[in-house]
Amino acid sequence: MENVQSPVLQISGLSGGYSAKRPVLHDVNLEVGRGEMVGLIGLNGAGKSTTMKHILGLMTPQQGEVRVMGKKRDEDAQIYQSAMAFVPESPELYDEMTVMEHLEFTARAYNVSEADFKQRTEKLLNLFRMNEKSTSLSTHLSKGMRQKVMIMCAFVAGPPLYIIDEPFLGLDPLGIRSLLDFMLEMKAAGSSILLSSHILSTIENYCDRFIVLHRGHVIAQGTLNELRTKFGEPDTPLEHMFYSLVQGRD
Amino acid sequence: MDLKLLWKQRRTGFWNGILPYVGYVIQSGVAMVFLFLVIAFSAWYTSFVQNIPAGFPIRWIALLLLAPLALFSSYRTYLLPADIVFLRPQEYRMQDYLKNSFVRGVIYKMLLLLFVFLTLWPLYVRADVDAKPLGWSMLFLVLWKVLSSYGAWQELRMVQAGASKGYRILRWAIAILAVAAWLWQPPLRSLWFLLLLAAVYIVALRVPVKHRVAWERLIQVEQTQAGRVMRTLGWFVDVPSSGQKVNSRRWLSKWGNGLPWNAGQAYRYLMTKTFIRTEVFTIVLRLIILGMLLSWWTAGSYFGIGVYLFFLLLTGIQLGVLRRSHGESFWIMIYPISGESRRSQVLGFIFQLHAIAALLMWLPMLAAGMEGLSITGIALILGVLVIVLMRRSQGSKWLKEEEDE
Repeated sequence: MENVQSPVLQISGLSGGYSAKRPVLHDVNLEVGRGEMVGLIGLNGAGKSTTMKHILGLMTPQQGEVRVMGKKRDEDAQIYQSAMAFVPESPELYDEMTVMEHLEFTARAYNVSEADFKQRTEKLLNLFRMNEKSTSLSTHLSKGMRQKVMIMCAFVAGPPLYIIDEPFLGLDPLGIRSLLDFMLEMKAAGSSILLSSHILSTIENYCDRFIVLHRGHVIAQGTLNELRTKFGEPDTPLEHMFYSLVQGRD
Repeated sequence: MDLKLLWKQRRTGFWNGILPYVGYVIQSGVAMVFLFLVIAFSAWYTSFVQNIPAGFPIRWIALLLLAPLALFSSYRTYLLPADIVFLRPQEYRMQDYLKNSFVRGVIYKMLLLLFVFLTLWPLYVRADVDAKPLGWSMLFLVLWKVLSSYGAWQELRMVQAGASKGYRILRWAIAILAVAAWLWQPPLRSLWFLLLLAAVYIVALRVPVKHRVAWERLIQVEQTQAGRVMRTLGWFVDVPSSGQKVNSRRWLSKWGNGLPWNAGQAYRYLMTKTFIRTEVFTIVLRLIILGMLLSWWTAGSYFGIGVYLFFLLLTGIQLGVLRRSHGESFWIMIYPISGESRRSQVLGFIFQLHAIAALLMWLPMLAAGMEGLSITGIALILGVLVIVLMRRSQGSKWLKEEEDE
């Protein structure tokens, strides 16, 4: 029987990168628990996207392992991939499909029932103000709208884990607010979220924990209060702590 | 910056990228089949020219062959998306760069037009009692090709997409009208008509507002053209396919919505939408219509079987392009769709479309009636054999590629 306390995402001793001689990640250990939203933060080139690619199965670890819902990808790729949805930094859409068709394709791929698909789609289209664009081809959408489609596709799939990379790029203020509110709603419903963003002032109030990556190493992790206890004053903003954490390490 | 040199470097770079694949194309069995068909056609054509049936509709055949070639225009500019930033400051000098694109775009297509015309000439001159002189006909085709190419170039510069579409229809209409006038009317009368038509068209082209350089449209067109070259290569060898022109085709948009709702059909859903919105659909549709016409025309003859199988082969090759459509797309690596499911759905989809095409192109052969029943039956059996063999060949090729990876 599956342990209800086991983390949804567990990365242990992960080292990896594009070349075996020059790994980007060095002994990365992190977990995302059920119903938890974790912020993955770091400078450009810190290894955030590489970490995400390892989780998604796009890269193979040189050392260590990645488990989603307790399973490694090579144990059962189908279950592994079904357990997560991804929102990339740059929207990747099929030119041949409309907004609604992207949602339907995703729902079919993730085996979402037709009734759930309809209910989720209606809610998401309203939330992200995309009703009028539902029959538009993706090539006719602005960058922000394309990003909204990516986000909606992830949420229509409804898996236990969301991997979200820089979701706010290109979104309008209402879109950002809608996304944050919806992420809280999904979290409350038991979903887990690993979120990467440079807008620390925004995610500071939404994430349960933060993981700071620097040059491929996890240099700090914990709740906002835990980080403050270790690296700052009681009311220090996350951005200040992050700045002082990475500043002395270059 | 030497813009003429930049154009030449880009052109050389693109074709150098294509060159390594040419060997594979030559080695490919499909290339041999084409060669065989060219030889077979030559033999049939020579014999046909010597025994032209009475009342043969040569003017209609000439119109059908020459008008599309006289109006068809496309250009390779080798422009890149980054040029909007880096080349735009040179916009006032871009004539130097784009002149090459225009000239090359006209010359090669003109050579093709003249080749087809000269191939048709022996048939035309024997079948038409009032055949126009060779020299004057060639001069007319050359001049109309230049005019049509100029019009197509101006369409690319038009600010309004609607105006561009409207002028494209106008170009098609007047090209068909011009070729028809040349074929049906006495030379002097058609000459005056053609001069008037050309003058009105040139004046009309000056009306719409145009960009000095329509960057976005030219880049989009270039991506489509480069994508076409890669897809043509894709008939023979595994090359990445990209830059497909997408058309919304709302009248077809419901196709695929009725697929059973399960993960097993997810990839087929994507394939269906890809098929209806890309050029594969229009190419296959054109092949089916032309194949039906020729099947009807050659019904009851062994040559008709050859024509039928040739069109079935071409349709199969075109449908095979779908196999490479999204094979390496980002989401296919992320979404929980297994390789096995993808393979079976794509091959099944292609097979079904191919079978429908085979049936549609076979039905007109029934026009031969009871007398040609045995030939019609043979055509059906061979047709089924072709689609089954192509299905098996695509399946084993796919498996081999997966093993190689």
